[in-house]
Amino acid sequence: MTQLTYLQAISSALRDELRADERVLVMGEDIGVFGGAFKVTDGFVEEFGTDRVMDTPLAESAIIGCAVGAAVVGMRPVCEMQFADFISCGFDQLVNVAGKMHYRQDLAVPITVRLPSGGGFSGGPFHSQNPEAWFMHTPGIKVVAPSTAEDAKGLLHAAIRDPNPVCYMEHKHLYRRVKGEIPEGVYETPFTARVAREGSDLVVITYGAMVHTALEATEDLDGASVEVLDLRSLVPLDEAAILESVERCSKVVIVDEANSTCAAGAQVAAVIAEKGFESLDGPVVRVATPDVPIPFSPPLEQVVLPSVDRVKEACRELLAY
Amino acid sequence: MSSSRTETGGGAPAPGTTIVDVTMPQMGVSVAEGTVVAWRVGVGDSIGADETICEISTDKIDTEVPAPVSGVVTEILVEVEATVPVGEVLARIAVGDGAASAGEPASAAPGPAATPAAPGPAATPTAPGPAAPPTHDAPQSGASSNGAGANGSGTGPGAAPMAPGPAPPATGAPPRATRSPGGRRYSPVVQRVAAEHGIDLSQVTGSGRGGRVRKQDVLAFIESGGSTQAPAVTQAPASTQAPAVEEAPLHIESPYRPEPVAPPAAGSPTLSRMRRQIGEHMKRSLETAATCTTWIEVDMSRVEQARARLGVTALAFVARATIDALREHPAVNAWLEDERYTAHTEVNLGIAVSLGEDGLIVPVVHRAQELSAEGLAARIKDLARRARSRELTPDDVHGGTFTITNPGQFGSIMATPIINQPQVAILDFEAVVKRPVVITDAEGNDAIAIRPITILGLSWDHRALDGALAAQFLASVKRHLEGLVAD
Repeated sequence: MTQLTYLQAISSALRDELRADERVLVMGEDIGVFGGAFKVTDGFVEEFGTDRVMDTPLAESAIIGCAVGAAVVGMRPVCEMQFADFISCGFDQLVNVAGKMHYRQDLAVPITVRLPSGGGFSGGPFHSQNPEAWFMHTPGIKVVAPSTAEDAKGLLHAAIRDPNPVCYMEHKHLYRRVKGEIPEGVYETPFTARVAREGSDLVVITYGAMVHTALEATEDLDGASVEVLDLRSLVPLDEAAILESVERCSKVVIVDEANSTCAAGAQVAAVIAEKGFESLDGPVVRVATPDVPIPFSPPLEQVVLPSVDRVKEACRELLAY
Repeated sequence: MSSSRTETGGGAPAPGTTIVDVTMPQMGVSVAEGTVVAWRVGVGDSIGADETICEISTDKIDTEVPAPVSGVVTEILVEVEATVPVGEVLARIAVGDGAASAGEPASAAPGPAATPAAPGPAATPTAPGPAAPPTHDAPQSGASSNGAGANGSGTGPGAAPMAPGPAPPATGAPPRATRSPGGRRYSPVVQRVAAEHGIDLSQVTGSGRGGRVRKQDVLAFIESGGSTQAPAVTQAPASTQAPAVEEAPLHIESPYRPEPVAPPAAGSPTLSRMRRQIGEHMKRSLETAATCTTWIEVDMSRVEQARARLGVTALAFVARATIDALREHPAVNAWLEDERYTAHTEVNLGIAVSLGEDGLIVPVVHRAQELSAEGLAARIKDLARRARSRELTPDDVHGGTFTITNPGQFGSIMATPIINQPQVAILDFEAVVKRPVVITDAEGNDAIAIRPITILGLSWDHRALDGALAAQFLASVKRHLEGLVAD
C-alpha cells in the first residue's frame, strides 16, 4: 500500500494502463511536453513517446472525434478535457457519435473522457462546472465520479477497460487535498455506490467532492446516526444501494455540487419517490447549487456552492421533522 | 393563482402568520361572476392545499374551488347563494406557525382534514387549481433584475441558495411540520409500520416537529408492547353500511335512458339557475345576431356503413365532415364580437350535451381538426360523460369556434338552433330517416331508392356572412358525408 493523492492516483492508473495495454493512448491539450494543465501526465511523453501521449490542437471536437475513430479500429483512447467545461465544444462527437455508435452500427466505442470538473477555487463560470448530468441524459454513455484516491484509480482502470464511452468526472478541488492508501497494482472499482459511513437516522446521498462535505457536515450532528452514500457511478446508477440506504434510514438529504435543476440528485430523488416511497419518513430534501453560473468572486462562490453549514442545516431540519 | 397573500401584523393572526385570500376564480373568458353554492368548511377549520373549500356555479359550469394553501380558515366573506364578481375575496386562510391560533379552535377540531404536514418544500401559495386567474404573485425573482433567469424557474442569482437546502433558516426550511396535534398526517413508512403491527397511530406520542409521529416513535411504541392490544387490522372495515351507489353507465350514445325521476311538485316557484342562465344567453344571442337558418338534405348511406363497421356514432362523422368544411370555409369558423370579426384556422368544436332537466352545456373538443372520426367519437363520449357527472373543467367549455347540436335521438328532423355567441354559426344534426329518393346511376338513368336521409340545418349570423356562403358550407359538409371513402 502506498499513500497517493487523488491526482497521483489518476496518474498512476493512466501509467499502469499505458504500460499494460499498447492499445491505450492519451490525448489532449498540452498533456505531452507540458505534462497537462494539472500535471496529471507529467513525464508521460518521455516514457511513452508522442505517439501514445498526443498533444492536440485546441479543438475538443477533434480530440473526441479522433478518439472515437481510434476506438472503432481497436484502440483504447483516453481524452483529457483541460477543463470539463470545455467539453461543450466536443459535445456532438461525444453525445451523437460516440454515444450512439453501438446502437446504430453495432460498434463498440471504448473511449474514456477525463473531465476535470467542479468549483471552489474561484475559477469562474468557465472553469468550475459539474456537467455530469448532460451525459447522464444521453443513452450510451457511462458517467463515473470518484471521491477518494482509491476510487480515482480503480474507477479509471475500470473506465478504460469498459467497452463503452465513459465520462470520468475528476474533481479538481480534490486533486491535492485528498490522499489515501492505494492497493498495489491494477484493480478495478465496480460502477456501484459505496457506503462512506454507516448510519441509521438519515442518509446523505452524494458523490464527488460533496462526499467530503457531507462527511464533515454530519460527523457530529447532535448524536444522530447519519449515513453517507457515495454514488461513485451516476450511470449506471446503483438503485439497489440507494434504496437499501433509504430503507434503513427513512430520511434522505441529497447533495449535488451541480446546478439543481435536473442534476444527478434529481434523478436520485425521482428513484426514491417512485421505488422507496414506503420507506420514507419525511420529504426528500435536496441541497444543490442554485441555477446560476458559478461566480468568480470568492465570497459569492462560497455562498452558491453547497457548504458544510448548509448540509448540516438541511440534515438538522430533516432529523427534527 | 387565485390567491394573494399579505403579511398581517395585528388582529387575530399570530405573529409569523400569513393570510392568504381565496378569490372567485376566472372560469372562462366570458365569465364575469360566480355564485357560491356551498361551503365545505367553517371558520376555524383546517384545510389542506387543493382541498375543496367551496362549490361555485357560473353560467358556464359548476365547479369546486380548491384551497390555494394549507392553513386555517379565518374568514368566510361570501354567503351561500350570493353572486360576486371574479376576483372577489371569498374567504381567507391563515398559514404559518401561528395559524392554529388564528382561527378559532383549530386544535379542537381534529377532523380528517386537519392541517396536513404538507411534505414538500415550502407548501406555500402555489395551489395548482384549475381556476387560476393571473394575479399578482407570479414569481419575480428570476426574470427581473438579473440576466440569468433563462430557465424561468424563479431562482436567479439574486435568490439565495436553493429552496430545498434550507440555507436561510426559517424560510427555505423543508417541511413545516404541523401545528395542530389533533389532526395528524403520517409518513409512508409510519403508516406501513403501523399497518404491519396493527397499531392505532392516535395512541402513539409524536416527538417530531409539532408532535409529528416519526418512524422512531412507532418503533419505540412497538418496542414498549403497545401493539399487543389489537390484531393486525385495527382499522376495522368501516364499510358495512350501504354499498356504494353504482352510477348508471350513461353517456350520450347509450340507448338507455334513466328512469324519469319524479318531477318536482308542479309549479316549483322559480327556474333553476342554469335554466335562467341558458335563457339569458339564448335571448341575448337572438337580440345580438341576425339569425337565419339554411337546410340541406344529406344521403347518409356511406356514413351508416362506416359507423356500423367502426362502431362509432353518426355524430362523429358529421363532426369530421363539418371540420373539413370549416377548413374550406374558415369564415364560418369565426367569432363576431361587436364589430370585431375573427376567423379561426383551428377548429375548437363545441358539442351541445343535454343534462336532462337541468339544462344544457357545450363542452369543446379543442383542436378538433387533428382528430379522426374515431378520435372525435371518443372525445365526444368522454366530454358527455364528464358533463353529466359534473366533472368538466373551465377549459373544457372554453374557446369554442363552432357548435354542433344533435337532438335527433327522439326522431325530430329539423330545427332552427340559436347561435352560441360569439360564434357565427351552429349546425343542427337531427334524426336519420329512411326515405324514398330519386337516384341517378352512372348511365344517367333515374330510379327510386330507399336511402337514409338527414336534414342538416345551419343557423348563421347575417351580420358575419351571407346565405350563399352558408349554402356552400352546407354543400361542402354534404359532399364530405356522401363521399366518405369506404375503406
